[in-house]
This record gives sequence, structure tokens and C-alpha cells, in this order.
Amino acid sequence: MDNSKTLNLNVRKDFPILSKKILEKKDLIYFDTAASAQKPNTVINETNDFYKNHYSNVSRGVHTLSVESTFRYEDARKKVQKFLNARSENEIIFTKSATEGINLVAQTFYEKFMQKGDEVILSLIEHHSNLIPWFFLRDKYGVVLKFANIQTSGEIDIDHFNSLFTNKTKIVSLTHLSNVFGTELNEKAISICKDKNIPILLDGCQSAAHLKIDVQKLGCDFFVFSGHKTYGPAGIGVLYGTENLLSEMPPYQGGGGMIGDVSLEGASYAELPAKYEAGTPPLVEAHGLGIAIDYMNKIGFDNIIEHENEITKYAFNKLNEIDFIEIHGGDNKRNSIISFNIKNVHSHEVSSFLDVEGIAIRAGHHCCQPLMKHLGVNSTARLSFGVYNSLEEVDKFVIALHKCKEFFNK
Amino acid sequence: MNDLINDLYQEIILDHGREPRNFGECEPHNKSADGHNPLCGDNLKLTFLLNDQNIIEDIKFTGEGCAISLASASLMTEKLKGKKIEVAEEIFKDFTNLVSGSDEDLKVLNEEDSLYALKGVGGFPMRVKCATMAWHAFNQALKD
Repeated sequence: MDNSKTLNLNVRKDFPILSKKILEKKDLIYFDTAASAQKPNTVINETNDFYKNHYSNVSRGVHTLSVESTFRYEDARKKVQKFLNARSENEIIFTKSATEGINLVAQTFYEKFMQKGDEVILSLIEHHSNLIPWFFLRDKYGVVLKFANIQTSGEIDIDHFNSLFTNKTKIVSLTHLSNVFGTELNEKAISICKDKNIPILLDGCQSAAHLKIDVQKLGCDFFVFSGHKTYGPAGIGVLYGTENLLSEMPPYQGGGGMIGDVSLEGASYAELPAKYEAGTPPLVEAHGLGIAIDYMNKIGFDNIIEHENEITKYAFNKLNEIDFIEIHGGDNKRNSIISFNIKNVHSHEVSSFLDVEGIAIRAGHHCCQPLMKHLGVNSTARLSFGVYNSLEEVDKFVIALHKCKEFFNK
Repeated sequence: MNDLINDLYQEIILDHGREPRNFGECEPHNKSADGHNPLCGDNLKLTFLLNDQNIIEDIKFTGEGCAISLASASLMTEKLKGKKIEVAEEIFKDFTNLVSGSDEDLKVLNEEDSLYALKGVGGFPMRVKCATMAWHAFNQALKD
């Protein structure tokens, strides 16, 4: 390796799946953390332990197991509150996914604050999960959607974004960290919303495990992220919302656990956060997320950020030297994600070729078809890093890329 | 080089992937359908002319995709041109079994067929959809 500095978090041993051999002989190199992160032993063991020793429904019974389950579920909420630096646990809603969080906000915010002809501002780089819930409002209720352009660097064009606001703009929803470019949202976008007093939702799916999140410092009104991209289980997501807005918006789904009092004539609703948590929640998954947060905190976000910045920069420089590689986005600061294409080779071929070398990368449109169209490509290959990746893995990946290019252009 | 990769990307696949045959739109045509893989964004448009004896007189496709999807579409058009519709349907069934690694006996396809080159897709379950996209479009066009 031609790099003198090698920061190693020494955490590979924590992830049992990383000792798996692909096709019985290749070491697994997992470069697909942006799609879903692998799980450390603590998360695997603690969720197991929950089922083995503590499991029951939450917030319903009075028996011992119910108490133990409820304690773990609510303790996870406390951990999430601290993780995001929210003001209160009432601002932390457990959902089944980040996607559900965005749908929840779109539907209930509309119901309380919007009408036909009102406007929502999004951008070209949004994941489908931050597009389709708003498309629903357009199709069902005649809401107008506006899309901020992006610059070649992969960042939102702030001037264009600023020009989209009118007196009908009611809410803004943007990705905090692009799942295609790895570029962080320009803070100016948030301050523009603050100046105009328009609520902003941040899609934090890609940022939550890679940046230190402080929702108060960020100044966002809503923030969503998913458990499975933050080394926790799938099936659990988090919606942060300011207590003001969450109090004013109506419930999302109706069911058990979200009620105050019910008669056949009607019902009153529970206080926050239960108001938005109808039905038995993913309680073990919530606990698992809490454990994953403990795990990230133990490594320390300063270390995580330093490690991932180093590896991302290293990989970017390596790829940038190769003439047959086209990197999407600019050479600006990226966080843990690089999208690229091998010229004249479809990303599927790249991914299948690397797969038999033991290297897992994502190929496709990354749930960003409008962005792909804008880039003029059908799909891209994407590298994404987590705490367990190393510079050596990048070196192996680069060698495999050369073999891949040679194979398909023979 | 890894056997799996060589099985998947046989020379004929790479060749048809690079230079698909029967690429374009059939004029005139009386059957058409779009193929789409929502997971990756690959897509194609298939057009063909079915004459009054139920024979596929001409068949073409356009679209964008990976080597597997383009080669599969290209080989499909070569295979189906001039075939009676009943035979084409049998080939469709055989092909679907072939690439999905099904043990079912093939009725009309054999190892001599160029389509047999796509058997390697069976080793890559996530790529089966790439190989069958054109065929499902064909099947869809027959139903419409």
C-alpha cells in the first residue's frame, strides 16, 4: 500500500459476517453499507437475548416481561433522543422505516397545514422515498412540487433552490447526504428555510451513521433515518419532529397504543410519542437500534468520521487516476459514497464481476431514477464504506476493476 | 479467470451485448410491448409482425441495458424470427426454465442452441431478470 497513514478502527472482529468466504474462497469485501450496514455482535446478541429472556408486548400488560420489554423499548427511545440531540423523547417517533417517516410527515402535514395549490420543494437528487410520498400529495390533492437543480459537483444549486420559494411554499424536504454522490447538504439550504419560516425535513438515511447529528444545531424540523443503515436491525426507523409540529399534526395510522380513550362514538388520542405509534411496534428492532447507537458511540463519531473520510479520499484518488473510470459528482468533499462507471461497461457487469472476487458493491439506479436521467446514465456502480472497511480493501478493489475492464474490453 | 464469470459471459453473450442484432423498430408491426426492470432501470421496446399464418415474420427491439439483457434480447429475436407462435411459446417456456436453473426437461431447446449460452445466468440469481426481460415483453405482447 502506498499510503503511510493507515487508520484502522480494529472493528472487523465485531462483525461475524465479515469472516464469510464468498464462493468458498474469497474474503468478503463489503462496499455496500449505503444500501444496508452489517451488524456487529452486540446487536445480534442483544436482539437474541431480548427474544430469549425478556420478550412480551410493550406498554400493555403489567407483568414482569411486559415491564422488561417496555423498559428496553423506551430506553432505546432515550438513546435515539441523545443520538440526535433532540430536546425531548416526545420528539422521537419509532416507525418501521425512514420511508414510513417521510410518508407520515407528508400525509399528516398536508392534512393540517396544506391545501390544493400549495407547494413543496424537493431536489433532483432525492431518493424515491423522498419523492413518491410527495407525488401522492400531487396526485391526490393537487399539491405543486418544485425541484431544485443540482450542480455538477453533486450539490444542490442554492440560488435555484432559493428562487423556488413563493408565498404558497409550505414545506421543504431534502436529503442530508446524497446516496449517489455522498455530498452533504449545504447548510445554507436549511438557513434559507429558517429565514422564510418554512419547515424542512432532512432525509438522514445516509448521514446518521457517518456524521455527528445534532438536530438542534442543524435547525431542521423533521429528520428521518433507518435502523438498518446504522448497524442496527431492518424494520425500525426513526422520525424526529419538533414537539410543536408533531403536536399539531393529526395521527397517521389508527390502532392500539395510539389512543387516549375510545367509545363507539369516537376516540381521543394519546400524547406524543404514542400518538404516532399505532399497533405493536418493532420493539426488538428498536432495542437493537439502541444497541447499534451504543456501538457507534463506543467507537466515537470523531473516529468514524476520520476513518471514513480517509478511506473515501483514498478511494476517490485511486479511481480518479484511472482513465477508464468516470466518477459522478465533483471532486469536492464526499462522505463514504462514490458512484462511478467503467466506460462502455454496464454497472451490472461490474457488480457481477466483482461479486465473484468477493467484493459487494451496488449497481443500478440507487432509487434515484430522475437523477440518473439528469446524469444521462442508465445506472451507476456505487462504492460505500462503513467502519469495518480498510485501505487494503480499496487496493484489492482497484486491482479487480482493472481485471474487469480487461475482461469486458478484450 | 473465474469459471462462473466465464460461464456467464461467454463470447457469444459479449458479442451480442456489444452489437445486438435486430436492433431497431419493426415496420410494419402488429405486436409490441415494453420490457422494464424496475430494480435497475433497464428497458426495451419489442416490436414484431405476426402474419396470418401465425408466423413471426420480423422481430426487432430497441432499448438500453446490460450485456445480459441486450444479448438475451438479440438472441431471442434471432431465434424467434420465422417461428410459428406455438413453437415460440414453447421456446419461451424452455428458456425461462434454462436461465432460472429449473430442473424441468427442455422440450425444444438443446445445447446446440445459441440461447443455451445464457444458462450461466443461473449462477447469478439476481441477473435472471436481466435475461428474461425481453422474453417477458414477448409474452406480454402475445397477450395484449
